[in-house]
Amino acid sequence: MNKQKTRAPSTQPTGLYKTESIRDVAESLNIPNISDGIASALASDVEYRIHQVVEEAARFMRHARRTTMTTSDIDQALRVLNIEPLYGHYPHNPAIFRRVGSYPQAQSSGAVYFVEDEEIDFDRVIREEKISVPKGVRWTAHWLAVEGVQPLVPENPPAIPKEHDLEAAGVNGVAKPAGSIFPPTPPSSDRPSPIQAVKNRPIQQQQQQQLVKQVLSRELQLYYTRLTTALIPPTDATKRSAALASLRHDAGLQALLPYLVRWVAEGVVGSLRTGSTSDNDGKVLAVLLDVISALLDNSTLFVEPYLHQLLPPILSTLLHSTLPPDHATELRTTASQTLSHLLTQHSTTYPSLSPRIMKTLLLALIGGGKSKGTREGAVRGLMGIGKEAIRKGVVEGGGAKVIGTDCTYGMDDQAQVTLVESVMAALRVLASPSNNPQPLDGTHEEDSATKQRLHEALGDYFADRVASDRQWSLNILQRSQES
Amino acid sequence: MSTATPAASTPEVSSPAAANPPDPSTSDLNATDKLVLDYLRARGHSAAEKLLKESLEASSPPGQTPDPSTSTNTISPEELARRIAVYAQKPTQPGQNALKDSGVVIQELGSMGNPQDIQKLISSIGAVGAEDILSLDPTDKQDGFRELEAWVDGSLDMYKPEFRPILFPIFCHFYLDLIQQGFKEAALRFHEEFSHSLRTRHNQVIHHLSTLLLPSHVQNDELAQRFRNEKYHIRMSRSGFSLLIGWLTEGVGGEGTGSGDGFSGERGKRGRAAVMRVVNNHLKFDVTTSNTTSVSPNAWEESTGVLAPLIPQTGFKDAQSYNVSKGDLKLGPAPLPEELQTEAERELRERALVDRDPNSQYDLQYARQAAPPGVVSPTLSDLPPHPPTFKLVDVKREVEKVRDARKRIRLDPSVLNGVNLNTLQGAAARARALPSICAYTLHDVGEGVSSCTFSQDTSLMAAGFSESYIRIWSLKGEKLRGYRNDFQPNNVKDVASLRKQKEKGGSTTRKLIGHAGPVYAVDFDPIGGSAEPPKYLISASADATARLWSLDTMTNVVAYRGHQNPVWDVQWSPMGIYFATGSRDKTARLWSTDRTSALRIYAGHLSDVDCVRFHPNSLYLATGSSDWTARLWDVQKGSCVRVFIGHQGIVSTLAFSPDGRYLATAGEDLAINLWDLGSGKRIKKMLGHTASIYSLAFSAESSLLVSGGADWTVRCWDVKSAGGLHTKSRENGVNGMTNGVNGTENGTEGAALTNGSSKEQEENIQTVDLVETFPTKRTPVIDVQFTPRNLCLVAGPYLAPEQR
Repeated sequence: MNKQKTRAPSTQPTGLYKTESIRDVAESLNIPNISDGIASALASDVEYRIHQVVEEAARFMRHARRTTMTTSDIDQALRVLNIEPLYGHYPHNPAIFRRVGSYPQAQSSGAVYFVEDEEIDFDRVIREEKISVPKGVRWTAHWLAVEGVQPLVPENPPAIPKEHDLEAAGVNGVAKPAGSIFPPTPPSSDRPSPIQAVKNRPIQQQQQQQLVKQVLSRELQLYYTRLTTALIPPTDATKRSAALASLRHDAGLQALLPYLVRWVAEGVVGSLRTGSTSDNDGKVLAVLLDVISALLDNSTLFVEPYLHQLLPPILSTLLHSTLPPDHATELRTTASQTLSHLLTQHSTTYPSLSPRIMKTLLLALIGGGKSKGTREGAVRGLMGIGKEAIRKGVVEGGGAKVIGTDCTYGMDDQAQVTLVESVMAALRVLASPSNNPQPLDGTHEEDSATKQRLHEALGDYFADRVASDRQWSLNILQRSQES
Repeated sequence: MSTATPAASTPEVSSPAAANPPDPSTSDLNATDKLVLDYLRARGHSAAEKLLKESLEASSPPGQTPDPSTSTNTISPEELARRIAVYAQKPTQPGQNALKDSGVVIQELGSMGNPQDIQKLISSIGAVGAEDILSLDPTDKQDGFRELEAWVDGSLDMYKPEFRPILFPIFCHFYLDLIQQGFKEAALRFHEEFSHSLRTRHNQVIHHLSTLLLPSHVQNDELAQRFRNEKYHIRMSRSGFSLLIGWLTEGVGGEGTGSGDGFSGERGKRGRAAVMRVVNNHLKFDVTTSNTTSVSPNAWEESTGVLAPLIPQTGFKDAQSYNVSKGDLKLGPAPLPEELQTEAERELRERALVDRDPNSQYDLQYARQAAPPGVVSPTLSDLPPHPPTFKLVDVKREVEKVRDARKRIRLDPSVLNGVNLNTLQGAAARARALPSICAYTLHDVGEGVSSCTFSQDTSLMAAGFSESYIRIWSLKGEKLRGYRNDFQPNNVKDVASLRKQKEKGGSTTRKLIGHAGPVYAVDFDPIGGSAEPPKYLISASADATARLWSLDTMTNVVAYRGHQNPVWDVQWSPMGIYFATGSRDKTARLWSTDRTSALRIYAGHLSDVDCVRFHPNSLYLATGSSDWTARLWDVQKGSCVRVFIGHQGIVSTLAFSPDGRYLATAGEDLAINLWDLGSGKRIKKMLGHTASIYSLAFSAESSLLVSGGADWTVRCWDVKSAGGLHTKSRENGVNGMTNGVNGTENGTEGAALTNGSSKEQEENIQTVDLVETFPTKRTPVIDVQFTPRNLCLVAGPYLAPEQR
């Protein structure tokens, strides 16, 4: 097949092998005057013999199941034609022909080629080149088709959109398996097909287009800009709530999701980085948390792949040491609620999610040198996760004790008040206080034992505060021992 | 041109060197003439001899004859006549009118269509006969062919497919004429001008002809001689034939537009005369009674060709009549010896009891294979001789065969008809129709892997490499261990002690070294069937041997020598013991493992035997050849019982359907033909592959055909569907494709292409029975096989992109 392509007679009606070449060879053999007639006859004959060898070699090529003729095919052909093979050429080391510009005195002879003989510096080869021993022939097996369907595994070529040739089916009239439209051979320019199908071309383009990344439509881009500007304060509340409502309910935002998630993350980082004591930052953070919760609410969105990007903003807001004072409690509460929301939705698909968040929160709660804000956030976060988390963190993990010690010696400022409040709230979640509290009686034997245990579990600071309600204390203790 | 044309100092002698005249080197004119005369006398060409004598007497030794291409008008009539005489002696065409042929010589002297020169020439040589010379004007071939083409293209659409095949043989003969007369340049010009329109179908032959440049080449070339000596068959309807005759004699019908004024009158007549000469001498018309429209357009062309030598015996009009004369074949399944049959049934019944399988009765139905209606089953005595007793492995094989038949995945592509594949039902239909295909890809194959096969129990895979070795892999991951070198037969008492004699260690792959050339075919012995791993492997190689390898010892056991040339293919007979090889020496041979010389030689193909396959009942052997035909041989008698003519290229691979009724052949014309063995007729032609087809396999029910090829695809074909082309793609083929090709190929040939409006680019056309195409990444599929349970296995080497 190759030879047919390369030797279209139209390009060289006078033959491949030029009379001049015969003359050159004759001169090299010291036959200076060779007549035109003889040279031309010899040229024709040489060409015929070359073709003979090539045709013979093509058989060997075909039987070797190759589409490229190699020097070994020529060798085999020469052998069966009873001619000495040309030694020294190997298919895995093909000779490289270099072209020399045509000589001015012999322009008719066209380009001159020579075989490049590279000089090899042994020193360099030994020093530099690492010779890797090739691995032997090995095989791999894969399913090319399973019950007539080609599975999309890496071993198979990518699927091609099927060409629905409905028109053909209509014209044909023959019961043709509709939709079985024969998928064309995979387009590839260097495919060894002798005839590059012309009609495959549009499909090729189609496929190339598919490889291009999906682009956001103009409408979505516009929506994105309008949305983000509407959300970020200062804007009026109606606009903002409208934007959030849109996020919460609109379908078709999937394409925007990665952008929104990124926007939220960047916004949170930006607000917290500046030192974040301004009132505006607090508002922004609140809005961003709202956005996250709106995204989680939207049932048409597939958020799961982006959870790992959504969690950092929530946890950052929750555990950041210095939130804007006016909004701190509110923000932490909202963040905790959002976290709880997220966990209820997705912890079933990712069982490892809540343990991992727990770990982060516990570290913030118990770890030394953490600010009160962080501690408070951790406690609120644990509340968001659930009772079990509070038990583990505040009671069993010693969170209450740590905070208690902090509070005993710390300044009695706003931060401490909210922190204590949060712990109390957490304890209230763990076990609800009774309606008419009766304090523990220090004289009563049973009560003092309870008090003792309460001190062990919660530390002095909180034990004292809880001790005012007998029933509650008992409940807390009971919960903490349930494990 | 100057060489081939009789030059002055060595007239004629150089040009008809083809005719084996005396030593051309001699410059002594008289001696040469004498030799020529002697030769003529010896050959009995008395007329020519006389002519030559006369001319010799009349002529003074011509001195410096000028270069014929520049000043032919000075040639003397004597000289001319002498040349004529030389042509008359051509041994290939004895008995031809010397004068007629002589005109050809004049024409070549006529310097390529310079009418003035010719007029002068004619006036100078009244003796020979102006009429003849006129009719053999050198331009007549160009003109004649152009006129013929215009006539064919100008004919009615319904006749076009019928007339088009005439162009090709006339083209070939014109070209050969020009070459033989030494008009190399005129021939090349002729080739350049007219070959394009024929290239789509006859690329190989046209290319081959274009390599012939000297008269001696024509004389020595096999194909050219076949054209010269044999009639080229053309099929035509009665009405078409009479139209052709009308045109040839009267010139009616075909005054093609744009043909120019030269086509009417004298020149047109001369051109037609040239065509007429080829028609008379080299063509043979089969005038069919069938109506023009009732024959499909492609059929006209495919039944043409130099058919006579392809048909094994003379005296038959075409392949079909030969096939009919050979009578009926016994295509039914091979019978089992009665004892083996009962033993296998007993075994099956026992197993059914053990398994508490209620379907045992069902099993036994499979055990008794019945021939399909209308097919004759052979008797035991028809089969090639096999050992009279059977072994345990035979029973196991037969039992396993029945179990396989029961557990087989049934594939029925006909359910796909009229089903929308995008629906749920479509998916279900697809699952029922199409197989699961497991692809084994070979990596890092180096120079190339030329053959690959799987054992029937799919425990082993073997591949033959260009680097002269064979590699075997265990697909089950078991270690392949041969027996130790110090094998002691005395120590073997039972299975355990035999196992002890095996080598230690080992790996899951083994290299078998022994061949001295690329290994072109490998095949595992079928005795174990799907019940046991094979014990032997047979391989064929370019070193002209077939070798038998024992898989117990992992060594070469026998080398079968006999072929003179590379052995292209080898296959075991379905029951083992025998195997067949096909070789470049144009023969296929039958061997048995216990003899080192061939049992039968199947000779008759005109070119290489590229592939051999046994009929499932082992009574027949099919061979595919480079002479574009496939033949079916009676294995025992060694006679050819069917010949299948229809491919327009080398037959590269074959497959029998398991039910024994069909043969599928794939050719380098990228078509797969399905033949009915009983009648020898072609059932259909399947198109779709875009590069060579390497392997074919039928599913166990013979309902689905799978093919793999160099276009990196595996394709599934519905055997039972009627086939045929898509109507739409056909139209594309005629109009769209030619234009497309116009742009992609050389722009210079634009003119030639536009007037050949119906040259279909068949390669881009798919027939409707192509059910599905599964592309691979970069793997030419060199082996396709079905397991007994209808899982399809394919294998091929991965071609790394940089390799190309």
